[in-house]
Order: sequence, then structure tokens, then C-alpha cells
Amino acid sequence: MYYPQNLKKLNTNSNISQEQLEAVERYINGTMADAELKTFTAKLDTDSEFRTQVNDIKTLLTGIEEQSLKEQLDEFHKDIKKQSSNKGSAKVRYLQFRKLVAAAAIIMALGSFWFFNQNPNERLYSKYFTPDPGLPTTMSNSTNFEFYDAMVNYKQGDYKTAIKKWQRLSANTPNNDTLNYFLGVAHLANKNENVAIEFLEKSVQNDNFSLIDDAYYYLGLSYLKEGDAELAKTYFKKSSVEHSQALISELED
Amino acid sequence: MLKFEIVVSFSCLAINMREAHKTNTQLQLIEAIKANDQIALKQFYMSNYHKIEALVLKNSGSIDHAKDLYQDSFIAVWKNLKANKFEPKNETALQGYLYQIAKNKWMDTLRSRTFKKTNGLTDETLAKLKEKPVDDEIDTNESDLNTTMNAFKNLGQPCKQLLTNFYYEKKSLRVIASELQLEEASVRNKKYRCMEKLRNIVLSSKS
Repeated sequence: MYYPQNLKKLNTNSNISQEQLEAVERYINGTMADAELKTFTAKLDTDSEFRTQVNDIKTLLTGIEEQSLKEQLDEFHKDIKKQSSNKGSAKVRYLQFRKLVAAAAIIMALGSFWFFNQNPNERLYSKYFTPDPGLPTTMSNSTNFEFYDAMVNYKQGDYKTAIKKWQRLSANTPNNDTLNYFLGVAHLANKNENVAIEFLEKSVQNDNFSLIDDAYYYLGLSYLKEGDAELAKTYFKKSSVEHSQALISELED
Repeated sequence: MLKFEIVVSFSCLAINMREAHKTNTQLQLIEAIKANDQIALKQFYMSNYHKIEALVLKNSGSIDHAKDLYQDSFIAVWKNLKANKFEPKNETALQGYLYQIAKNKWMDTLRSRTFKKTNGLTDETLAKLKEKPVDDEIDTNESDLNTTMNAFKNLGQPCKQLLTNFYYEKKSLRVIASELQLEEASVRNKKYRCMEKLRNIVLSSKS
């Protein structure tokens, strides 16, 4: 624990204790409690040596962050290189153009064969289904870390890992509507509509659930995928999501 | 009781964040970049590079110039966001801001003497680039910062990884501890010792 009187010791450049370092971290992150903050800023105003020391630590933290970012940008850049080397030079591209056209034609033929051989419900489903974009993950909220950690996996399309992590949370809070909703949409994205339906139905139990319109919409899509157009319609009617209306009219045609 | 609290906090968060998601993606992008969110950073980096590469290539620069310029500009934007020096005015404001900073930086490069000597530069290219410069934050502690960055760059691997996890990726001690299969207290200790190590390198290279 850090106590304001420790501040008195902060006067040589060569010694910074763990508590002092963590106090500066709290100060920079804005997580310092009011009383501590008051003492801290007062000290900053009056004690120039203390100020220098805090600034030194700040510079260390900034340096770590900036160097880490710099090194990460080089990693990102490798992917840009991959992208552009895939494009190849203009000459090569021209020579391969005919081959590409032929390949594209075959893919399109196969694709449409597959597409038209689906049953009409499946076709509608694949026309309208896109996974829920998920919630933004800013990683600043540590109490819900596990939830947002799984959200990162979800957004990366790693539905299995996301489901595993959410399931762990769900063991403690089986009736959490947000969790049930995301477990549902993750299962649906993972092509497991039966399980998705279970979770989504749980999530719509609470009328005040903030994502209830989305939940009804995905519930409708799950039933559509399962082949139950009537139930699908019932749920689309409950949802005010834009696509619901379009889906209802397509189902009624 | 605890269960109830968790449920409530989840739901509130869901409402707040979903609202933000729908109404202002720009603010959300900025928050994510400020928090060093890996996905947001990468996406933002990847999606703006080619425009700036085109700018440099069209104006007497090479691919390598483009990469250096882009990364410098990207870091400048990130720093200004962290210092709350940027307010988005429309949905693509941040992208425009990055482009503007890159453009100004490139203009400075073109004006600089060494560049003029090594690459024949016409007034025409300069005139094309001339526009009002954007203030992109020159740190007074620039040289201290560079010393620190250099020291961190060469810091031994276990320490570097730990400090990156904690200060850059903003992982909690608890998470880092479970990843390393260590006690949280010992990670906290290690972190402190790594900081001391880094500080000593910085201090010795300054004197």
C-alpha cells in the first residue's frame, strides 16, 4: 500500500521504490484516489526534485509504449508487403489474366450450382446472415476482462475459443442476457444453430435486455437455418432490426 | 448479490458500448487506438498505408521513404491522440488527419537539404505539396525519450516481454501471471526489477 508520507523519500534520482513506481502509474492512468491525488499534485507543485523524478518515470513509460508500438508497426508492415507481393508486377498480371478469367468462370459456375441447389430457407439465410459485429474491446475495463478477452477471439472469427471462454463465465451467471446472447450468436456463426437457439431463447427472457431486437433477429435466422420458416417469421416480427421486414416479406412470397 | 452486480454491469456496458458503436465509430476508433487495442491499430495501419505510399511515390520518394514516413506519421497521430490533441469532426476525420500529417512531414523532407542534394527536386513538386502545416507535437524531452526507447529496444527478452505486456498491451498483472504460470506477486516484483534495469541503462547512457 502506498502512503503519502512515502513521497518524502522521493528525492534522489537513483532510488525509486516499487510503491513509488506504482503511485506514478496510478497517477498517469487516472486511477488515483482523491486524497492521494491531492497530496501527489501538491507535492508536484512544490517539490521540483519530485517533479523531475515523476517526469523521468513518465518518460520511461512513454518510451516503452512508443518503442513497443514502433516494433509492432514493423510487424503490421510485413502483412502489407504480403498483400502487395500477392499482386505481382503488371506484366505477370497480364499474362495470368486469361487464366484468372477461366478460373473465375469455373468458380462462378460451381458457386451458382451450389447456391441454386440449396433449399430456399438456406438460401435466404446465407443472403442475410452476417455475424453480429460484437462489442468494441477497449481493454480498459479490467473487471470484465474475461468477457472482452473472449470478444477479441469472437471478432477474429475464432468462435470456438470465444465460446469456451464465455461458457466459463456463464457457469457463474447462467442467466446473464448479454452473455447468453453472445454465446448464441457465436454458436450460430460457428454453424451450430441448434445450440444457438437454446442460448438466444434464454437471452430474450428479459424484456429489458438492451440487445433484444438483435436477439430476436438472430433467433429468427437460427430457425430459418434449421428450416422452420414459421417460427423464424414469428421472431422476425418481434424484432425491429431493419432486415427483419425484408426477410418477412421474402418469406411470405 | 455479486451475481446480480455482474449482470447489471454487463447490461449497462452493453447498452453504452452498443450506442457508441452505432452513433460514433470515430470516437470508438480513437478510444481503441488510445488503449493500444491490437485489432484497431492493425486495421487502422493497414487501411491507410496505400494512400500515403501513393503520395510519396508520386512525389520523388521510394517505397522505403513511404514506409518510414508512414510509420513516423502513424506514431505522431497516436501520440497526439494520447495527449487528447485531436477532436474528430466527421466520420473519416482521423484518416484525414493521418494523411495531412504525412503530407506535411513529406513536404519537410523534400525541403530539407540532404534530400535536395540526393534527389533532383523541382519547384513544381514542392508547390503541389504546399499546404498549411498541422502542429504535430515536438516533445521537449525528445532526446530523453529517444534514449529510453533505445534502451528498451535492447533490453533483454524476458523483461522486454513483461513490460510490453503490462505497459503497452495493458494486460493486468493477474492475466500476465496466469500466462506465465506464476504468482501475481512475483510478476509484480519482476516488473519492478525490470523497470529498475531499464532505468539504470537509461541513466548510464545519459551520463
